[in-house]
Amino acid sequence: MNIFRTILQGMLKKPADAANAGQSDMAYEPENVPGVKPTLVHTLYEFQDCMDLTHRAYPEIGVDVLYFGHLVDNHQLAQDVLNPILHIRADEVHMLLRQTQFWPAADSKELIEGILSGQVAIFNGADTYLVNVSGPKERQVSTSESETVITGPHDAFNEQAGACLSLIRKRVKSSHLKVIKLSVGEVTKTDVYILYIQDIANMLYVREAIRRITNIEIDAVHDSNMLIQYIDDNPMSIFPQFLTSERPDAIASKLAAGRVVGIVDGSPSVFSAPTSFFEFFSSSDDYYQRWMLGTATRLLRFLAFGITITFTALYVSVTTYHYEMIPENLLLTIAESRSKVPFPPVYEALLMETTIELLREAGARLPTKIGQTIGIVGGIVIGQAAVQAGLTSNILIIAVASSAIASFVIPSYVMSASIRLIRFGLILLAGLWGNFGLAIALAAIVIHMSGLTSLGSSYLTPVAPFKLEDWRDIFIRAPFGLLVKRPTQAAPPNKVKNKMRR
Amino acid sequence: MGNRFAVCLSLLTMAALSGCGDQRILEKVGFTQTTSYDLLPDGRLKIAVAIPKADPEAELSRQLLTTTALSSKEARINLSRQTNLILVSGQMRNTLYGLSLAKSGLWNHIDTLMRDPSISPQVKVTVVNGDAESLLKKNYEQHPRTGKYIDRLLEKEAQEQAVPKVTLYEFARNYFDDGVDPVAPIVKDDGDSVIVDGIALFRDDKYAGRIEPGDSIIFALLERDFKKGEISIELAGEEGKKEIVMFSSLISSRKVEVGHGDAGTRTVNINVDVKGSILEYIGRLKLSDDANRHELERKISEHLSSRGNQLVGMMQEKGTDSLGIGMYVRNSMSYAAWKKLNWREEFPDVQVKCNIHVKIKDYGKFR
Repeated sequence: MNIFRTILQGMLKKPADAANAGQSDMAYEPENVPGVKPTLVHTLYEFQDCMDLTHRAYPEIGVDVLYFGHLVDNHQLAQDVLNPILHIRADEVHMLLRQTQFWPAADSKELIEGILSGQVAIFNGADTYLVNVSGPKERQVSTSESETVITGPHDAFNEQAGACLSLIRKRVKSSHLKVIKLSVGEVTKTDVYILYIQDIANMLYVREAIRRITNIEIDAVHDSNMLIQYIDDNPMSIFPQFLTSERPDAIASKLAAGRVVGIVDGSPSVFSAPTSFFEFFSSSDDYYQRWMLGTATRLLRFLAFGITITFTALYVSVTTYHYEMIPENLLLTIAESRSKVPFPPVYEALLMETTIELLREAGARLPTKIGQTIGIVGGIVIGQAAVQAGLTSNILIIAVASSAIASFVIPSYVMSASIRLIRFGLILLAGLWGNFGLAIALAAIVIHMSGLTSLGSSYLTPVAPFKLEDWRDIFIRAPFGLLVKRPTQAAPPNKVKNKMRR
Repeated sequence: MGNRFAVCLSLLTMAALSGCGDQRILEKVGFTQTTSYDLLPDGRLKIAVAIPKADPEAELSRQLLTTTALSSKEARINLSRQTNLILVSGQMRNTLYGLSLAKSGLWNHIDTLMRDPSISPQVKVTVVNGDAESLLKKNYEQHPRTGKYIDRLLEKEAQEQAVPKVTLYEFARNYFDDGVDPVAPIVKDDGDSVIVDGIALFRDDKYAGRIEPGDSIIFALLERDFKKGEISIELAGEEGKKEIVMFSSLISSRKVEVGHGDAGTRTVNINVDVKGSILEYIGRLKLSDDANRHELERKISEHLSSRGNQLVGMMQEKGTDSLGIGMYVRNSMSYAAWKKLNWREEFPDVQVKCNIHVKIKDYGKFR
């Protein structure tokens, strides 16, 4: 993997230098120096050419109101700000502005950020106030498209951090649930919230997460899957090092397990940390089913992982080098279906894998209604015509299709995509060196993963370091009576989660 | 950085150059399924290989290549000159040895096979009563491809204890082990079919004699424990009438006792317990009657024991310790004493007694 990293770094070096050189031109220079008293003139100057800014002046009482109409709740605006201002005389303004909804803004920068986040700025002579009446348009809480379950809650986070927070607060009704607000992006000033449960989460992880997020220096962050790439331990790795989920129940359980959770405003995915590789294979469904079913499905997913990684590569290595490994009855069938194929198995396999990836990508990009036709066209073209045309063998179609299906079994889309990409490397090495290449590739993956960390904790917990107790909730889903302790990876100060004996 | 890049590039080149060599792409490979060996009168070997074909358009389902050579590896080079496929032996299932070769000794050939890492030690060793090549060459129309046919036939027969399962591993083990001689199943051409023709007894690696197919189950009873098998027995009844018993679902276990006499004489008792159910009985006894049934048990036991004694006598005559009695004798004495003993000479004089005890578990649905 080091070689791989070196190559990548070699390739990336030059563009990175160019970016550094050009940074001084691109960088956003804040003109609001903290501590400067806000004035109407200055504020209007800052928002020059912002057509969507509403400016209302009430000259008879000497009040100016500034806000973005699309960021505020009109009803609240009328009730809290506009109506009171309309019904008073000039000498009553001073008394009105002493009501608690009016916050005195002492700082020009604070004022501008307030307006940008949907507050109303009120100027009265030298005094400036902010009123929070923000009520932006938000998407309804709906079901998750990317992580569906059959049993269990169907609600999913939406793009509004406030809605995400409320969904979590609804599930974790505890004053110990702490929320820390951070801001990322010099231009976008995206809100990032760090959540943890006091006395259950390990503060070392909380502080580490906060430190990494505050260290980000970038112009814009648009999604939490993007944010985690700025803060993960090994940016060059193919594996995601933080789990993201759109499901409030999953995130609430991560919080209760002592993990740290992060919400990025504008992103429906919420990340949790620290994460182990095996966490990506569990779904909320496992806990809502009976334990044996949960266990069976979880084992099935690990089996699917094995199939995805090795199936096509094994086909390539066996048909190219290791004819000894094929059972006698299967041998002739494979040889017969291979007999018309003009390419060596490795090209044949790469061709089919690429086709499957094309189909998948096309299906993901197209609208649902057209996406269905892609399935039919792909199924017929690949399944039938390719074999009849003698481009591939039947057995390979089965291998490619089953490994593609197996890859979709993995609940996390990000992980499933990573694994599907690794497969190509395995196929190439299997074509080069046969089973030896396959073994080398698998060893390289294991070595690489052993070196990964998530917020400084081992990515392969509970296999390395070996924590047998955690296996009950990672490789199987033991009955709840046996799930007594919180996962060791999160190193929670309070270890026991279940005191009931049954 | 440039240096590192060069290292990576050279590693990639090394991977690409060292890879893809030694390819054996499935459709370009001819897998030898069965090989036959015969000894020609002039001392050369006649070797034939059967290669199943994967081509759906081909008329024949297999290729059969024949050559004569001095050794089997030389034969492989000769054979490969006759075919468009790369000849490989990793899918070999069976080796057939003609009787002519079996008589002159098999070990050299088996040694070659054992030495090749691509050949499984599970490859069967089979003796052909007659010419192995002509057996392999013949197409048996009502049966699968001849090579596969013989392989499956032996596999199935071995499950029912009609022949011992003899692979390269077992043959080599018994060849090297002290106090046991190898055996191998015999097959022969029987017109429209191939038929199992008993068990070949080897003295070291040379064919020394054979057990008739009817006696091979007795051999199985004396040689090993098993859990599946059947036997058909003809008993002498009253007034010259024959009684026929078909004894099935056999479960057999044996114990070998070795006794040392004063004058250096040795006695060996082979005690076998057989349980089974009667599928067919034609005779005067009434099986539902306990006394009658015990009488039948006694008669069968006596009959089987005497046949066992005959079989052992035959083997002693030929000097082949195929039952491995020598191993039990060896285990009953010190290593020094065994080293002093010439078992090959001693074996014909050992007093061997077979006690086969039969128990009828069940005598059918109709009582």
